[in-house]
Amino acid sequence: MQAHPAHEPAESGYDRLLQGWLSGEMRLVNSGLPRERRRLSELLGEEQPSVGCSDGSHQLFKRTELRFLSDILDENERESLLLPIIIEMVGDGTEAIVLCPSDVELKVISFVLGMHLTYETPGRVRVYKPQLALLRKKLRTTTQYAFSARTVD
Amino acid sequence: MAHLIKVRPTKIELVKLKRRLKLSQRVQKIVKDRLSILTMEFLQAARETVTAKKRTMAAMTDAYKAMTVASGYHGYVALQKELIACEADISVTAGPRSVAGIRLPSLELNEPTGGLRGYNLTQTSSLVDSASDTSREALRAIIELAELQRGLELLGAEINRTKRITNALEYILIPNLQVTIRFLSMKFEERDREEKARLKRVKVLLARKES
Repeated sequence: MQAHPAHEPAESGYDRLLQGWLSGEMRLVNSGLPRERRRLSELLGEEQPSVGCSDGSHQLFKRTELRFLSDILDENERESLLLPIIIEMVGDGTEAIVLCPSDVELKVISFVLGMHLTYETPGRVRVYKPQLALLRKKLRTTTQYAFSARTVD
Repeated sequence: MAHLIKVRPTKIELVKLKRRLKLSQRVQKIVKDRLSILTMEFLQAARETVTAKKRTMAAMTDAYKAMTVASGYHGYVALQKELIACEADISVTAGPRSVAGIRLPSLELNEPTGGLRGYNLTQTSSLVDSASDTSREALRAIIELAELQRGLELLGAEINRTKRITNALEYILIPNLQVTIRFLSMKFEERDREEKARLKRVKVLLARKES
């Protein structure tokens, strides 16, 4: 057995390293989260529509995706749709929760998936992995993953 | 095979090891979730790359065919003379997009504004228009393919890195911690049993002495 000096707690550096790793991984996986979400109507008028991320970088929105969203929504809905749409990972990675602060997000997801969806709890819609793949395929830059502390509990 | 971690056999160490195990399992959960997302994105990108490659080949074939027909109709020199004036730089909007912590490229061809083609419409046929349209389509397909292929490479590299971390946690770190915790727990149980046996022995000796 390895002896440790009495004044120094054994392997404390190791614990700190693990804690740092955990927070580092959390920071890394959430580095693409937006600092603020922006309205579709605003983004449509911009030459290079983008949003600032939590790590200081910018995420570019594809104009084709914005046009697609614009086509399925009316004027008021374009005003209230905030982008990017946040997808929160839950469970064992086989399902996810799409955060829908308004009904417009629900309409968009329902349209993309081609099925009627309902809220599981207010403002949250559950989607499964195949649906998630379809959603990400259609809305590659206008959706973003989030990993919360709930994920790891 | 799991190995014992060298620690002092004290209860404080056991508590610390248990805390470390919990933390490691939390890290493992996050890394596994990330790996699952990355794999899903990778497979999707691979499927899309195959489709995009086919589309690019088809678009290139169409573009060359249309150009050949147009140059056959107008004559190569006349067509070159007509088109040389309308050469323009390609404008592509490029930026990053983030997928679970990796920055992938996002490329998009900017459509020309005004709808003017740049060549004389009265002196050229619709064959040139068709060649122009198919060429632009081919260009769009190439840019899409470039984006997907680079994304695929980056995703693959990140999946490898994440897999190494997951394996290290799953097969080395966590089993080592579990084995050490089990070893220390058994050691403390054994100490308790020895203590109890010693006390019983002392009790018997005292009783014998009194009698």
